[in-house]
Amino acid sequence: MVVSPVHLIAAPLAAAFLIPLLNKLYRDAARVVPGVVFLYNLSVSWILVNRVFRSGPIVEVIAGWKPPFGINLVMTPFSAVLVMLVSFMAFVIWLYGFRFKRSLKGGVVMYYEILQMMMAAGSLGIILTGDLFNMFVFVEITGITAIALTAFYRDRDGAEAGFKYMLLGSMASVFLLLGILLIYTQTGSLNMAQIAERMPAVATGVKVTALIFLLISLGTEAEMFPLNGWAPDAYSQAPSPTSAAFAAVLGVAAIYALARVGFTLYDHGTVSGFLIAMGFLTMLFAEMAAITQTNLKRMLAYSSMGQMGLAMIAFGIGSEAALFGALFLIINHAIIKSLLFMTGSYFIYNLNDKRLRALNGIHKRLPYVSFLFALGALAIVGFPPFSGFWSKFYILTAAGAKQMMPLIIGILAVTVIEMTYYLRVIGRIYFAKEESEPASHKPSIQALVAMTSLAVLIIVLGLYPDLIAGFLHRASMFLLDKQTYIQTVLHLS
Amino acid sequence: MSNYQEIISQYRPLLEIIVYGSAVALILIGLYAVLVKKHLVKLVIGLSLIDSGVNLLFVGVGYVTNHTAPIFSPGFETAADKMVDPVPQALVLTAIVIGFAVTALALSLVIRLYRHHKTANVEQLNRLRW
Repeated sequence: MVVSPVHLIAAPLAAAFLIPLLNKLYRDAARVVPGVVFLYNLSVSWILVNRVFRSGPIVEVIAGWKPPFGINLVMTPFSAVLVMLVSFMAFVIWLYGFRFKRSLKGGVVMYYEILQMMMAAGSLGIILTGDLFNMFVFVEITGITAIALTAFYRDRDGAEAGFKYMLLGSMASVFLLLGILLIYTQTGSLNMAQIAERMPAVATGVKVTALIFLLISLGTEAEMFPLNGWAPDAYSQAPSPTSAAFAAVLGVAAIYALARVGFTLYDHGTVSGFLIAMGFLTMLFAEMAAITQTNLKRMLAYSSMGQMGLAMIAFGIGSEAALFGALFLIINHAIIKSLLFMTGSYFIYNLNDKRLRALNGIHKRLPYVSFLFALGALAIVGFPPFSGFWSKFYILTAAGAKQMMPLIIGILAVTVIEMTYYLRVIGRIYFAKEESEPASHKPSIQALVAMTSLAVLIIVLGLYPDLIAGFLHRASMFLLDKQTYIQTVLHLS
Repeated sequence: MSNYQEIISQYRPLLEIIVYGSAVALILIGLYAVLVKKHLVKLVIGLSLIDSGVNLLFVGVGYVTNHTAPIFSPGFETAADKMVDPVPQALVLTAIVIGFAVTALALSLVIRLYRHHKTANVEQLNRLRW
């Protein structure tokens, strides 16, 4: 099969615009087409990941304009791992939401599917692009679709959360544009490899100003404290599959963009201290806020922020081992947090109540879903048999190798907070006395398959982390190797 | 060299001050609106002012004194060194379209907020808190 990275972005975009037409021909097209496209994406990314790991990075030249001119897509081992992750998670989330709003007729479901596909396409674009302005365009695509999905339910809270997200998101895009403008005036290029090559010659003042602009904007997308005010509202007001996609698709792309700016455009040493400090503040603040929440989805959203903070810390430490831990954490976070949102929203669907208090004794009514939720909760805190253990373990080991004792103590202390509120929820589910009436909505078969496969993945990765460790080591080595990136992109034969 | 080009190069510093100054002024006015104003529509107007300021900044950065529009037309096939930088202009076109989409989305959200809350005052929208 002739495949290239372009297909990964083009297929979901084209399908998203064709769905309204196809929906006229076949009533359920909006539900079926995304699955076909995501399955295609999954197979394409599987082929490309194999090719990247066998024979080095792929640079895709678009419309015959060789880099540094024109737009080019770059698939390095680092981005290949994340592309695979995003494609897989987009497919699983589609499967989970296959019977989403079965009772509603008309275009509502169609809009949801179109927006989900555009968000996946934009996220893949952020990960694949080798051009700074192109990245801005993809950030905007994901941003606008995420805002629209946040306001998907036409209630007052949805609109309010969407508006908040929109205010912060458009400020972020202004800063991104200003940062790109500054870099363009100084280096005369938008190609990331060429910028990286010319960056050392740029005056320090301009360089740092541009970096601050870029960090403000990408930090907003990556839920960095204090720019993350949109996240809890957006996570809790969006439809449930979308909340999962925020964690597993949007979050992955945002943290990738942050890493790409920090490691390729700039030298890692410039951003190291900042990322560690902001990552720790994000983590501390998020977990402190999570423990006071009374709403299940908001609690999960704050926990999500905490994980992003930990990933930022790991990128800040910046050794090969820390990057390995960060990649492992991103994968774990995508899988486990999606599982938590998927199972959690079945609780909410049944109880018609987002409050934690309503969860009392729900395991009697939804035994299997409760079991999966408990598994996910234990995994994300980092209990040993599950995959979440390894990411925390590797990040702590990496911090230990760099003699960062206060950081290790800090992370462990925050983990105790995290453990407290997750165990409290598990306690409510299993040991509190039941209060409300029996369940009326059993999970659909598609949702069960999706949730079970994620749970199996958590256990398999927890027992055999070596399955992916080789790939992740090579991916993190490549992120550190800036010169190879520049050489590969700029000196195409 | 035509007469008006001489005049432009004579007033080049002034021109720079006008272009960059108005770009910065637009951004600041927009920021003021976003941070201080309470009416939802005024917030959206502020955002779109900031966008315009950034776009103006982009076009200003790409300008080269006494150079012409970057279009290869008959008679101008070899005039590449007499043209202004086309890249910022292409970027601005994209940014304008994106800004338009964001403004449209924001206004539709404002309409929906107004229908639910019967007010467009941002201080009275406080159902979602930390």
